[in-house]
Amino acid sequence: MLELLRQYVMGYVTLTPEDFSLLAEKIVVRQFDKRELLLRPGEVEQYMNFIVKGLARMYFCRGREEVILNLARERELISASSSFLSGEPSNYFIETLEPTTLLSITRDDLEHVYKQNSRIERLGREMTTYFVLEKEAWEHACMRLDTRERFLAFVEKNPELVQRVPQKYLASYLNMKPETFSRLKPLLRRRPLANVNR
Amino acid sequence: MRHSIAAYKDAIEHLHHYLSRFTPLSKQEFGTLLTYIEVREFEKKVRVIDAGQVERYLNVIAWGLARKYLPVRNKEITVQLASEGHLIHSELSFHYRTPSAAVIETIEPTVFFSISYDSLQQLYDQFPKAEHLGRQLISDLFVKKDNHYYDQLTKNTRQRFLEYVHTHPQMLQRVPQKYIASYLNIKPETFSRLKHLVRPGRR
Repeated sequence: MLELLRQYVMGYVTLTPEDFSLLAEKIVVRQFDKRELLLRPGEVEQYMNFIVKGLARMYFCRGREEVILNLARERELISASSSFLSGEPSNYFIETLEPTTLLSITRDDLEHVYKQNSRIERLGREMTTYFVLEKEAWEHACMRLDTRERFLAFVEKNPELVQRVPQKYLASYLNMKPETFSRLKPLLRRRPLANVNR
Repeated sequence: MRHSIAAYKDAIEHLHHYLSRFTPLSKQEFGTLLTYIEVREFEKKVRVIDAGQVERYLNVIAWGLARKYLPVRNKEITVQLASEGHLIHSELSFHYRTPSAAVIETIEPTVFFSISYDSLQQLYDQFPKAEHLGRQLISDLFVKKDNHYYDQLTKNTRQRFLEYVHTHPQMLQRVPQKYIASYLNIKPETFSRLKHLVRPGRR
């Protein structure tokens, strides 16, 4: 399991085995069933989680509607990052959609490791930068692409999520009505090669 | 543009103060950091970076005012309004070294304290505290972005308007109305209608 995490962090910075072991010492394994809440609004996010196995979503409620802001799967992070970084209460729920295994580190432990080792602090900076850039890219996509283009961009990048995630959640994540999502779905069948190649 | 030495001194002091909010920096440390910084000056209504160019700089505004927008189908969507002490750059282009989709344009004559991409990498390698400072800065940026996005999704037009003008009272005077309206995702007509809420004596 740690090997997956090692590969992931090495995508951001080069760590020596000693550096990585500083981080690894603080990692805890957490297991959840499907449909378990990891975080509720008003709570401070204590964990940064790396998904070894499973699937989770981050969302908030607007009236009766659930607005999904993030869907994360294996080899991705899930956390209410804003709360994790600021220590302020979160606005969001995090819930597993499948049985999920996480490698987690607490805020305090991560801060402690940052102080010990500047390469790990660099990892923190690079990852946080990446979060900002992803957010920016997503906002740009929402402004520049129409509904159909957003749908296609998403399914091309995430073909297997279309199989694993309930359709209404995908629609919410893509900021479109469930009916619109259903209407666009036939576009998938016309692009079988794009799916197979990924 | 001509500015007094005192004005620069003042702005540099503000920069020191701004950075110290994230991590304490001695005079000497701040002095080292300054050697990586360039001063860039622009008249008003100048495109600091245009769509298609690769962003070379991360800028903090010493004084002046700039906006960042996305040109989308003959429209300009304002995504940031930045005044003194604010960070502004085309971040996707800066970090990925790809052509910018966004345009940054000055609204007033503006002076930037800028660090180039290459200087920033050198700074991270040569100046131990920079790593910590950089992480704190970027974390703060993420939290602000997340809050703004959440507000856009959860607050109504009137709430967004009132909160913005109360937290940025001087912007209403300095920024053309249509830019603020675009930034808050409010129709210009609606924005005009909401303005009566902030007339003197009606707060």
